[in-house]
Amino acid sequence: MFAQITRIVRWCLLLLLCIPVLAGLVGVAFPALGYFPAIGANTFSLDVFKELFARDDIWQMVWLSLFSGVGSTLVAMAGAFLLLASFYQSKWLSRVQGLLSPFLVFPHAAAAIALLFALSPSGIFARIAAIGTNTVIPGTSDTLFPYDSGGLSVLLALSLKELPFIILMALSVMSQPLVKSKLSGYIKVGTALGYSPSAVFFKLVIPTVFAQIKLPILAVLVFATSNVEIPLILGGNNPSTLAVAIMHWFNHIDLSMRLLASSAAVLQVAVSALALLLFLGGERIVVYVGKIRLAKGNRRFSDGLVHGAAYSIVALYVSLISAVVYSVFMFSIAKQWSFPFLLPEGTTLLHWNTAFEALATPLSNSLLLGGLVSTSALGLVLFTLESEQLKPAGLNADRAFSVSLFLPLLVPGVAFLYGLVWFQQLVLQNAVWFHTYIAHMVYVVPYMFLSMAVAYRKFDNRYAMVAQSLGKTPWQVFYYIKLPSLFGAIMVAWALGLAISFSQYLPTLLASGGTIATITTEAVASVSGSSTRLTAVFVIIQGVMPLVGFVIAWYLPAALVKQGSRVSAVEKKSRAVLHGA
Amino acid sequence: MALSLENLVVSHAQNALLKVNVCVNDGEILTVMGPSGAGKSTLLQAISGQLHAPFSVSGKVKINGVVVNDKAAHLRKVGIMFQDALLFEHMSVAENIAFAMPSGSYANQQAKMDTIDEMLGAVDLKGIGERSVTTLSGGQQARVSLLRTLASTPDVVLLDEPFSKLDIALREQIRSWTFKQLKERNIPAVLVTHDKEDSLAAGGQIIELSPC
Repeated sequence: MFAQITRIVRWCLLLLLCIPVLAGLVGVAFPALGYFPAIGANTFSLDVFKELFARDDIWQMVWLSLFSGVGSTLVAMAGAFLLLASFYQSKWLSRVQGLLSPFLVFPHAAAAIALLFALSPSGIFARIAAIGTNTVIPGTSDTLFPYDSGGLSVLLALSLKELPFIILMALSVMSQPLVKSKLSGYIKVGTALGYSPSAVFFKLVIPTVFAQIKLPILAVLVFATSNVEIPLILGGNNPSTLAVAIMHWFNHIDLSMRLLASSAAVLQVAVSALALLLFLGGERIVVYVGKIRLAKGNRRFSDGLVHGAAYSIVALYVSLISAVVYSVFMFSIAKQWSFPFLLPEGTTLLHWNTAFEALATPLSNSLLLGGLVSTSALGLVLFTLESEQLKPAGLNADRAFSVSLFLPLLVPGVAFLYGLVWFQQLVLQNAVWFHTYIAHMVYVVPYMFLSMAVAYRKFDNRYAMVAQSLGKTPWQVFYYIKLPSLFGAIMVAWALGLAISFSQYLPTLLASGGTIATITTEAVASVSGSSTRLTAVFVIIQGVMPLVGFVIAWYLPAALVKQGSRVSAVEKKSRAVLHGA
Repeated sequence: MALSLENLVVSHAQNALLKVNVCVNDGEILTVMGPSGAGKSTLLQAISGQLHAPFSVSGKVKINGVVVNDKAAHLRKVGIMFQDALLFEHMSVAENIAFAMPSGSYANQQAKMDTIDEMLGAVDLKGIGERSVTTLSGGQQARVSLLRTLASTPDVVLLDEPFSKLDIALREQIRSWTFKQLKERNIPAVLVTHDKEDSLAAGGQIIELSPC
């Protein structure tokens, strides 16, 4: 009975991930081919594509998307591997992990805004550089950051944001019991053969784990080529990246622009696919060259250079984080803070008051939506994982499952979300919360599944076998043994789901048609507003909110354990007394 | 005639892994020996009903004359013990045992707790019911683990190298105590082990599995 329910839930999860994406793709394909009855376009043709490709700037947009997307993924991946190569066997690893982990749950929009505070021509670094020199803000035309037409600032921001994700993905693969024991053997053998630590890492560790982190990296690549928030906040406008253009065209007052937007969305899918092909092709070349170099048997792998680069990356993150924290906090309480002073002139809590008044509704919307999404996604994910253990699927079914799991991450959101909205308006026009809920689920479920699956695989299944042999039904085993044993991991997954839901910009904006304001949509909107200081408050709130979930996730299990161990503390005392006697 | 394995063949995909044809009487302890990879643990999983695809079972597993091949694992009344005690860490000692007791077998919670106290007292573990299982020594854990299995009133008990992690001094003591408990209750048991001593102490039939 329970086993059947879990199998049904597994199917629900699959459908929940696949239907919105596929429906969304169909929903943009029709208008792209000229079929859009709402504005009287009833005939299929390729005219819309002709119009799209006739634009002067279209190829430049495609290039910007490709360049910033592929470039940032490569930079982030290289950075992540350099850091791991230097730190994977040192006691610093956990500190580096601790430094980078908050980035994972820091929304993309907030990260982009935060970089604006640190690196813009009037940002904190410029202020430091301007000490003792002229007091004029450098002109914006000749600076690299932000809004450069080459896409470098977008590339930089994306790499900074994706590097922690790749590191944490790699570490979670490397900490799986089977992989871990295999790797520690490889490391011993490699070291005994005289290979230096970074040579061991690049020649033995990476080839072993890369297959397992490839899918997440491909998801990063698709995300980077089609992301909206970061190029919207940091990118140039003439032209923008393709994804940003799509968003502007879709939101244009002139509804006929929807046709153009839809065709561009189809083009975006092609661009992301091309990025994937380039990456996979590059991988083949690296593997080929790598094999030749493996056979050469060089014992060193530019160890000095690797270490130097790794320390520079850490230094970069530390200085950026401290600069951002300092300037955002100062701006949020500044009365006035003009260039090039390092301290604001006078402080006030006015912006905080204004923000809290303005954010009451967005805040409760975010919490309600996040709570609903994260809690229900957790249920789906746990039942799905349980169904796998109750009745393991075949190899092919397993592979199909993991591809569908990644489907929403491998299809650009900006492409399918618009089509999804079109469908949702056809089916249930007024169920705004439901639509937004579905759009969030599509993004929350995959990450939550990845996070929970690691914990589930680490669970010693003999506990379940013992409980079963004591006469407990599969449901009882799940409820009384697995859930309590995995409580810590479950809470972390829940907090992760909450954080991901908080950070959604495009899905919220589109699915709700702008009627559900969240912290993230308000923060992005505030960038183009007048008050830098109010934006600073928004960034702080955005950064703190995901942490709330994690604090609960860390505190709650510890508190429960403490309650349980109070009994044992008393016992220890009585035992000590016994021993004394 | 309590546990009989009639022409039991366990296969992986299409390849036969092991063949057994044996009868274990009430209170008898059958020892299964063989090198690693011979499928000793797999045999136990076949008996307890915890073998999943790509493994398959043919032949019959009979408990007290009833064929249980198609019964779900939790309905077979087959207790299983591993080399680790595997006590549930989120429960106290008493809760671990209470969890194993068939529901509805005691008039009230108090009767249940009294029985547990009695069981613990009988094995020199009086008064540890409220303790958290992580505070127990290895020997205490092993004893609680067997008490837990016995509390579920199993028809058959399977022992998967249960003594291999205990140190030598403790090992003999726990072993003879475990066998005594099983024989007193007339429970047929299957013991999987590498250790000749174990098989001699068990005193039942010995079968040697060889990879086929």
